[in-house]
Amino acid sequence: MSQSTGSAGVKRREFLKVLGAASAVTTTIGCSQEKVEKLIPYLVSPDQTVPGVSTYYSTTCRECATACGVVAEVRDGRAIKLEGNPEHPVNHGALCARGQAALQGLYNPDRYRSPMVREGGKLVATTWEKAIPLLSQKIGEVRSTGRAGNVAFIDQHASGSFGAFLDQWLGAFGFPAHHQYDSSADLAVRAANSAAYGVAMPGIDMAAATLVISLGADFLDGRDAGVPMQLTFADARAKLQHAPRFIYIGPRRSLTGLNADEWIACKPGSEDAIARALLGAVGGTGGGTIAEAAAASGVTAATLQRLADELKAARPSLVLSGVSTPNAGVVATIAANINKAAGNVGVTVKPGEPMGGYDGAVGAAQMGEIAKAANAGSIPLLFVRGANPAYDTPKSMQFSAAMAKVPYKVSFSCYPDETTELCDLVLPSDHALESWGDAEAKPGVISLQQPVMDRIFDTRATGDVLLQLAQGDPATVARFPWKSYRDFLVSRFPGGSATFTQALASGMANGAIAQRSAPGARPALSAETPATIAGDGEYFLVVYPHAVLSTGAGANKPWLQELPDPVAKILWQSWVELHPTTASKLGVSAGDHVTVKTSTGSITAPAFVYLGIRQDTVAVALGQGHTAYGRYAKDIGINALDALGATWNGAGGVSLTQARATVTRGGDRSDLVTTEGSARQHGRGIAQAMSVADLVAGRFGEEAHHFPGDADHSFLPGLRSPVAGDAQGDLVDSTAKDQGMYNPKHWSGMAKRRWAMTIDLARCTGCSACVTACYAENNIPTVGARWQGRALRPGSASDDSAWDTRPGANILKGREMSWLRIERYFEGGEDGSTDFEARFVPMMCQHCGNAPCEPVCPVYATYHSPDGLNVQVYNRCVGTRYCSNGCPYKVRYFNWHGYGEPERRQYAFPEPLHLQLNPDVTVRGKGVMEKCSFCVQRIREAENLAKLEGRELKPDEFTTACAQACPSRAIVFGDAADENWSVAKLALDARAYHVFEELSTYTAVVYLKRVNHPGGAN
Amino acid sequence: MASFVEPLRPNIASADVALPGVRDYEQVDDEIIATLKPSAGWFGALGVSILLFLVGAAAWIYQIYWGLGNAGYAPPVMWGVYIITFVFWVGIGHAGTLISAILFLFRAGFRTTIYRCAEAMTVFAVMTAGLFPIIHIGRPWKFFWLIPYPNWRMIWPNFKSPLVWDVFAISTYLTVSATFLYVGLIPDIAVLRDRETNPMRKQILAVLSLGWRNSEPEWRHFMKMYLFLAAFSTPLVLSVHSVVSFDFAMALTPGWHATIFAPYFVAGAIFSGVGMVFTIIIPIRRFFSLRHYVTINHLDAAAKLCLFTSLIVGCAYLIEFWVAWYSGVAVEQEFFWNRVFGQWWWSAWIMLICNMVLPLSLFSQQLRRNPTWLFILSIFINIGMWFERFVIIVPSLSHEFEPWQWGHYAPSWVDVSILIGSFGWFFMWFLLFIKQLPVIAISEVKEIVPPKLRTHAAPHGVDVSGHHPPYGVATPGEFD
Repeated sequence: MSQSTGSAGVKRREFLKVLGAASAVTTTIGCSQEKVEKLIPYLVSPDQTVPGVSTYYSTTCRECATACGVVAEVRDGRAIKLEGNPEHPVNHGALCARGQAALQGLYNPDRYRSPMVREGGKLVATTWEKAIPLLSQKIGEVRSTGRAGNVAFIDQHASGSFGAFLDQWLGAFGFPAHHQYDSSADLAVRAANSAAYGVAMPGIDMAAATLVISLGADFLDGRDAGVPMQLTFADARAKLQHAPRFIYIGPRRSLTGLNADEWIACKPGSEDAIARALLGAVGGTGGGTIAEAAAASGVTAATLQRLADELKAARPSLVLSGVSTPNAGVVATIAANINKAAGNVGVTVKPGEPMGGYDGAVGAAQMGEIAKAANAGSIPLLFVRGANPAYDTPKSMQFSAAMAKVPYKVSFSCYPDETTELCDLVLPSDHALESWGDAEAKPGVISLQQPVMDRIFDTRATGDVLLQLAQGDPATVARFPWKSYRDFLVSRFPGGSATFTQALASGMANGAIAQRSAPGARPALSAETPATIAGDGEYFLVVYPHAVLSTGAGANKPWLQELPDPVAKILWQSWVELHPTTASKLGVSAGDHVTVKTSTGSITAPAFVYLGIRQDTVAVALGQGHTAYGRYAKDIGINALDALGATWNGAGGVSLTQARATVTRGGDRSDLVTTEGSARQHGRGIAQAMSVADLVAGRFGEEAHHFPGDADHSFLPGLRSPVAGDAQGDLVDSTAKDQGMYNPKHWSGMAKRRWAMTIDLARCTGCSACVTACYAENNIPTVGARWQGRALRPGSASDDSAWDTRPGANILKGREMSWLRIERYFEGGEDGSTDFEARFVPMMCQHCGNAPCEPVCPVYATYHSPDGLNVQVYNRCVGTRYCSNGCPYKVRYFNWHGYGEPERRQYAFPEPLHLQLNPDVTVRGKGVMEKCSFCVQRIREAENLAKLEGRELKPDEFTTACAQACPSRAIVFGDAADENWSVAKLALDARAYHVFEELSTYTAVVYLKRVNHPGGAN
Repeated sequence: MASFVEPLRPNIASADVALPGVRDYEQVDDEIIATLKPSAGWFGALGVSILLFLVGAAAWIYQIYWGLGNAGYAPPVMWGVYIITFVFWVGIGHAGTLISAILFLFRAGFRTTIYRCAEAMTVFAVMTAGLFPIIHIGRPWKFFWLIPYPNWRMIWPNFKSPLVWDVFAISTYLTVSATFLYVGLIPDIAVLRDRETNPMRKQILAVLSLGWRNSEPEWRHFMKMYLFLAAFSTPLVLSVHSVVSFDFAMALTPGWHATIFAPYFVAGAIFSGVGMVFTIIIPIRRFFSLRHYVTINHLDAAAKLCLFTSLIVGCAYLIEFWVAWYSGVAVEQEFFWNRVFGQWWWSAWIMLICNMVLPLSLFSQQLRRNPTWLFILSIFINIGMWFERFVIIVPSLSHEFEPWQWGHYAPSWVDVSILIGSFGWFFMWFLLFIKQLPVIAISEVKEIVPPKLRTHAAPHGVDVSGHHPPYGVATPGEFD
């Protein structure tokens, strides 16, 4: 039978072809209307670059002059995380919030993207090919008129060879040496130290002391050498019963003050009298009497006598000074004399092991001189690099107006700050993470700075620009033989090119940086009159550098704006601190605007009612009130320098405590942008502490508290349930036969590990570096910028009036996203007395073994992993927010807006900030819940690495971002089921407790009680 | 029989009920079907409802696009107006089934003329309530993940979660109450069909009436079915709101974690539903001239139900305080103090006054029989019951274990628009309903109207059917 079927119609093969083609077309077309994104791998991959695998570069942090060593994690050519270099002698692996936020300087959306030149009154983009000849021509003009000697160069304060290089360059053109301007450094203390000890910054060993007295020295408030000071402080406190007692003397209780065991609230400007009395007590020459000190300071003679007695009895002790009155140098000198008289030198104060990070900075007084010269019309050309004197000098000095009179002003700064905005030519420098450099880690140790990635904008390293200028001039070319600034560094590096390359791996080398030869680089302390706080107002005005934003340099980084001030817990805002009694006297409640008026100016900001300030004092932080400096800094808060006059201390630094003020209630009010709910823990045992006497006596419970489920009980010593306890709490009954699959010892081996964390509150100072580390690691959006608020009425994205554009609008609604927050609770002081205690608790997801959030999620978006993590699956979350309602710790955060969506108004990572995002962590979309994951990406990375290498995880092999950054080393992370990990040992400490243990949540976070060292009877 | 004394105010919470103003079947048909004729006022009301609905819908679309941040949520208050309104409407939905099913089983005669209204209210209230969990969630386009459906990922919802129970409870309740409403409507639709002249409508009504011919077997089956559905719905009245209460009671949150929640919520739901019945039925009997159907006696009886549930609710409030005190749990005690005398005192006192104090006026028979007062009171009850849910949700979440995270809450324009929109949506459906289908059950009213017999005048004042003789239209106190 001949086949005839199908001959008339479609053959099977053809049918299948058509079907295949048709379905291919349908799927291609029908698939998605969404934008197709491009994935472009390297065409030719750079050596040793594997897509998706990080490369690490050692470099040096240049956010302040301290020069901490950092390791930059670089993924696919972009730096995504900065961590302390564990080998580095300054910071030993820790890194403060400002250091972490260097990345947001690197990727700041407001950085200059090309050279700028002033045309028609505005800065417009230009090219390097045009800009450098332009500057060359200007330099030529100045030199030809014979005014080269009047040129001024203001550089930022940073140790390293650049200063010497710059002076050499300036000298080649006949310009005078440059000024390293530092508005935040405690210049008076350094000058006094130089005189007393022979070094500007002697090494400090607090652990060796039995008593530490701070005369206004805010060493935990992100001041000079913040990380090394915090490391030594935390190490000292971790000695528990052998730890030094810490007394803070000052009119305002700063973060350092809150970490003290006792606060002696003296009148501003009376620190010298107290210091003299103490000097007298230890038998130093030039000492004063208790009676004089009591009369001057407003502190009772009995208190001062006790203080003097304690100091006398304590051997060794440590006295640190850091007052900001006009006689700061005098106080620092007396403090040094006390240390000498008490025999502390060489024991707790170690001039033989000095710290680096100080290279002859000048203060605002020098800026005043420059302003004077500019006003007189004698400065023909002004260079500025990194420094911002138009913002951070007292307004009454009129620096901006004076600077405007300079005919030609050139800036090498990265950012459009107030000073650079006044310039005629901007030659933006590479960011420190894009360029070469060095710093003095400590005398004799060079800390190297290398580019960790290619530059993202059309910027150039200032050293290279200067070289090009010098080499373009026949008169100077011979003195600048180097091809680049890197060549200069290599040429003077001990051992030359080969050792230089070798040293880059560790980021350090022994050797000295090039010294500046310029005279006056290390200013001496000139005579100071005894403190006279000027003016006749009823209140003292205390101005202090912001613990996070410092004197304003941090304000353009959203991580830092979003980081609550460790004391006031206010963010995206300025505030005036008032004592409760003062507030009620003025009829002011929190948020009411108060006007602080001095003889030189006035400022108005909302009131923050704070126990930790004297009744006759008001305090304002620096750092806000920028009129330029990019979208995150501009028009937020006020600049406290507006109220200060040109009063200097003996080292030429501005006196931040210099004036009396009248304080009046303004008509307006604005809600405080704060993360604080209640400042009291209502006896709920969240932040627990014990006295050293109880510690010694073995009394680990706290006084009786009313607790859900067990009324009138004491806190139990230690842990009621082992951390390794399983999700169902079966381990509570250790005799139970079946201990459940979540038990690490279960035969199935399913739950091999129990990830856990200990947080030692005896170490934690509340500095909040961990918070920023968490933001950086986990792509947490900042939500407080003024365009991120909610709609107040229906309106389009571009119509600002329809949106809540207050800075911190989302924070006012409690919508901050900080997976990790530092709670700051006050104990005592209800009567307004100075005798109160602050307790800091880092609070993040507790990864409960028996989590209240897990059973309520309808879609299993949150569930328990076999290794003890409470896991959040963003892609599964539908956003019922029930988990948050169930969570007693309130550590779950919801994406109210599309913070991760570029097309939204609320987008948190405007280009190029998004380049920082960690590729290992999802950027969450709107409508989903998120929370601390215990850095699950790091856990898996370490596990995968171990698996690839065919081994088990090593104890303490890796850690979370918060623990890595912590400058107090308070956080320890690891596997609590394996006793070889540190966390397993720490969790067994007698000081250990769980927060809300009575709720049977079986948390994986174990806190170790803070240990207080009360005076008097103890 | 001879000893029969005509009661002035007969106890109509029994099967023995009469509508003296209604004489015969034709009157019932005429008067009730007459209410279906659209009026200008009705068009106006419908227009307003649709407008409000559109406002809410627009606000929702805006919220979906821009994110929930435009609502008033202020963490830790993660639930707000939407969940409050969800519970509010679910609660409203409970009186309908109580009246139509439970009172049917108890043979409470006063339900006859109000149950249709209450039942329609139930269906539309549950339809409204069902929207809110979807409006409330962060990614509403993923709401179907709460429904257990087979999928290749083999992921099921978490059956431990009360929110999944909610999905079942609400969908079951909507299905059953809609079925119950429809089944009860069948004979009435047949009446409409018989009177309809428009062929198109007649055809639709014919289909909807399932070919009802008024035969005796049909009635027998109908009554069996009706009885079955009533019995089937009855446990739902208790279970649905119990499940809703578990949304709260299952969380550790102070003020939520209490075993009293299920009965407390059920009583509250019925109370709020009865309040809403008054809000709806009093204008209807007035504007549709149905005062001789829904008589003062009916309102009086319903008011007693209202008073009874109010007392239960009030008792539950007091028990909550007592338990907080008796437990010795400081967190709980602090929370309750904060609820009533602290941060949220105003909302708690709105709740207590509206739900506990004002309904006590119903002990007065005079006020029970005053429709104006009942209407005013019903508005207070609606407000009070909305605030009851506010008081349960917001103060609890804003004042939990962690003092650092204590907070505030204020709704935004989006919340308010969607809340208003929900009323628009509800009344839109209700208004459409009352002009399409009879708002009073024609067939059930006919059951209590004396049939026309050849002998009109029965001896001794009682007709052969055993009913009381009709009152005169002018009987004092009956048709104010």
